Amino acid sequence: MAIGLTHYLVIAAVLFAGGLFTMMTKRNAIGILIGVELVLNSANVNLVAFDRYLGPGRIDGQITAIFVIVLAAAEAALAVGICINVYKNLATVDVDRAAQLQG
Amino acid sequence: MAEHSYEFILALGVLSPLVSFWLLVFFGPRLGKPLAGWTGVFLGMGVPLACATYVLVGWLDAVETGEAAALTASAFRWHWANIGSVPVTIGVKLDSLTVAMYFMVTFIAFWIFFFSVGYMAGHSDEVDHQSKYHRFFAYLSLFGFSMLGLVVSSSLLFLFIFWELVGLCSYLLIGFYFDRQYASRAAMKAFITNRVGDFGFLIGLMLVFLHLGTLDLDEAARKFAQQYAAGTGLFASTYTLFGWSLATIMGVGLFCGAMGKSAQFPLHVWLPDAMAGPTPVSALIHAATMVAAGVYLVARVFRLMTPDALMFIATIGCLTLFLMALIAIVQTDIKKCLAYSTLSQLGYMIFGMGCGAWIAALFHLITHAFFKAMLFLGSGQVIEGCHHEQDMRKMGGLIRKMPVTGFTFLIGVLAIAGFGIPGTHFGLGGFFSKDEILAVAYARAFEWNEFKKHEVHKTSPTHSGGHALFEPGAPATGGVAMATAPRVHEVEAGVDFLLVSDPVPAAKPPRHGEFGKAAIFKNTKPLPNWMFYLALVTAYVTPFYMMRCWWMTFMGRPRDEHVHHHAHESALMYIPLLVLAAGTFVSSYFLFRPLIADAAVAATAAPMVQATDGTADTEAIHAAHHWLMYGVGGAFVVGFFFALVIYARGLAIAGAIKRTFWPVHALLEHKYFFDEVYDFLWVNGCLVVAKISRFIDTWFVDLVFNILASATERLAAFSGLILDQHGVDGIVNGVADTSLMVSDVVRGPQTGRIRNYVLFAAGVAAILLITMIVWYAAPSMATATPSGGSI
Repeated sequence: MAIGLTHYLVIAAVLFAGGLFTMMTKRNAIGILIGVELVLNSANVNLVAFDRYLGPGRIDGQITAIFVIVLAAAEAALAVGICINVYKNLATVDVDRAAQLQG
Repeated sequence: MAEHSYEFILALGVLSPLVSFWLLVFFGPRLGKPLAGWTGVFLGMGVPLACATYVLVGWLDAVETGEAAALTASAFRWHWANIGSVPVTIGVKLDSLTVAMYFMVTFIAFWIFFFSVGYMAGHSDEVDHQSKYHRFFAYLSLFGFSMLGLVVSSSLLFLFIFWELVGLCSYLLIGFYFDRQYASRAAMKAFITNRVGDFGFLIGLMLVFLHLGTLDLDEAARKFAQQYAAGTGLFASTYTLFGWSLATIMGVGLFCGAMGKSAQFPLHVWLPDAMAGPTPVSALIHAATMVAAGVYLVARVFRLMTPDALMFIATIGCLTLFLMALIAIVQTDIKKCLAYSTLSQLGYMIFGMGCGAWIAALFHLITHAFFKAMLFLGSGQVIEGCHHEQDMRKMGGLIRKMPVTGFTFLIGVLAIAGFGIPGTHFGLGGFFSKDEILAVAYARAFEWNEFKKHEVHKTSPTHSGGHALFEPGAPATGGVAMATAPRVHEVEAGVDFLLVSDPVPAAKPPRHGEFGKAAIFKNTKPLPNWMFYLALVTAYVTPFYMMRCWWMTFMGRPRDEHVHHHAHESALMYIPLLVLAAGTFVSSYFLFRPLIADAAVAATAAPMVQATDGTADTEAIHAAHHWLMYGVGGAFVVGFFFALVIYARGLAIAGAIKRTFWPVHALLEHKYFFDEVYDFLWVNGCLVVAKISRFIDTWFVDLVFNILASATERLAAFSGLILDQHGVDGIVNGVADTSLMVSDVVRGPQTGRIRNYVLFAAGVAAILLITMIVWYAAPSMATATPSGGSI
């Protein structure tokens, strides 16, 4: 069976669903971050797959995927920093407990 | 003699009291009790008296050498400002009348200031529990400044300013004891009555300003003469009021000021009340100087007068002199008695002016000033000595207690009564001056046609001998010739008036029975006979009430032991009495009459006046003058006789007469009910007008405002309750309530939990996706599945 675009899209959808589910269910901030990474990477899979199948000879999708990876790295660095500070202050990374700013 | 030095010395004398006033106002309390007074005496009046004496001596010399006319003509004028196109000048009116008046005022005022020191020493100077000693002398100094300024003013405008200033001083001094209600009321009465007269003055002034285009006295007279000759300006107008031409209205208007200040008939009511002031004030202001300012004013504007205006003046003067003399008979207050006598004598002066007896009226002014000042100071001494008792019925026999006062008072009584020997040079002030007025009045009333016939043709430019003051024919007559020349022209042109002039060679003391310069008017009616008769009768009444006054006060048996026991006199106060008694003698004979006669030549040079020397007396006139001479000259004998008959033995006879003629007595006692009538007419009139105004105000003006107010109130209620609360506020509150409601609803999903947000976001995204698929993708998938499959 030839591997087509649909297969990539299915894998990306599975990854997306998994990331989304992780974000919805985890109370641990790190867990949520992992969920976010999954969602971002599912998008990357889509980008690369569309680039490969719909625009052969062009690298737009691949460049965008690299951008996303860079952004994801930056976002991860920032988010982990926030997590460390939250932990320092609250001795936990449970996002439900970090509700001091809630009105 | 440096140029203009007389003017500057006179001006220095005017300003010195102002300096004194300034000092006393600002440093008076520090100077303390006698020192503030002496400052007032010497700086306030001593310096002016010195100036006056210096100028008088020099001036007499100048008149003799004939330089006077040139000095008058070249007197200093400083152009100060323009009102529109009318120039206003400041200057000194330098002529014999000014010099005479200036000396008279400073001399009398100095001795009255002096007397005041003694008077205030014994009087309370406390007003509102505070010493007002310095204030008294400050006011006196201010009065000195104003009065002297009035005398020297060369411009009607400045004359008017000083005129108002003396009125102010009069007000301040009458109301000196302002914590006593009668005094403050008297002050107000004087001030308000004077304003009535000054209103007329202002009208006259405006007419001068408007039609003559100048405010300078000499310039105005010159323009008036020009306009008369050319029939332009004032004389071109055909406007009349009560049959008076515009020129007459101007004259009468100016005279109205004199009516107020000199307390003439309808406006006389303030002067008796003014006696509420301290006695030196009564002597200085309300007897000797200020009240005479009205006569002085008429003398100064004599050249602007018309025959009708002069007839009006004569009528007013005549009524005053007669009516006031009658009131004086029934007065029991020594100061009131003198006040009415002053009114009557002022009436004589005004009457004289109106008759054209210019010299005689001013001569009477000056003689009267001396003896009336003395009489008032005497009365002040009496009141002071008797512990503020003013009622003559409680006096009597005071001559033994205060001989100096008594005898000087007697001299005053003799002077005012016209004591003298008819037809000779022997007599006291009033003897010459009053009788001269009567002689002129007689001529105006009975001999007018004779004069008209004789005098007009005798006039010629070369004829001026009668006017020469000290040396007939000397260069002094230059001024006369100047004054005469234009008049001759008018004679030929059919001039309306002629003037009987001074037949008395002025160098000599006056002889009784002769009469002075009189303006006689060709085309007017002669003086009504009743005027002459009233003046004549009053000449008999005057000695009666004066002798009554003197006798009740000083002679007979003491009627009140208490008063008599305390009576005493003090040197500080009787020295001025002696000086003024001497002044009464001097003023009767020397100095003043020749000076006034010298001034008369130029000052009466009205376009309507024709000067002659009066030598045309016919035999008939001489004969008539004979009985007049004795009839008037002997009046004092008759008056004194009746006074002694009635009062020599106490008040019993007077009481009987009073009971018999009680209606007459009541009429006089109440001063012809003038105060009551004025009270009814003016005061009540004002109140009625006020009440009507209030009614209109309440029921018309206020009504409109009340309606407007209630309408506004209702509008405010409407806009406040309905518009604002329910409208504007409703919108705002509605917005707020809605926001609250919406926020309540919207706040629900905002849990703050990130998972929920992700769920929402995912859910919404899912819903959107499904929707898109259903709405767009589904049909296209249904129709284009093959193409979709090709991907």
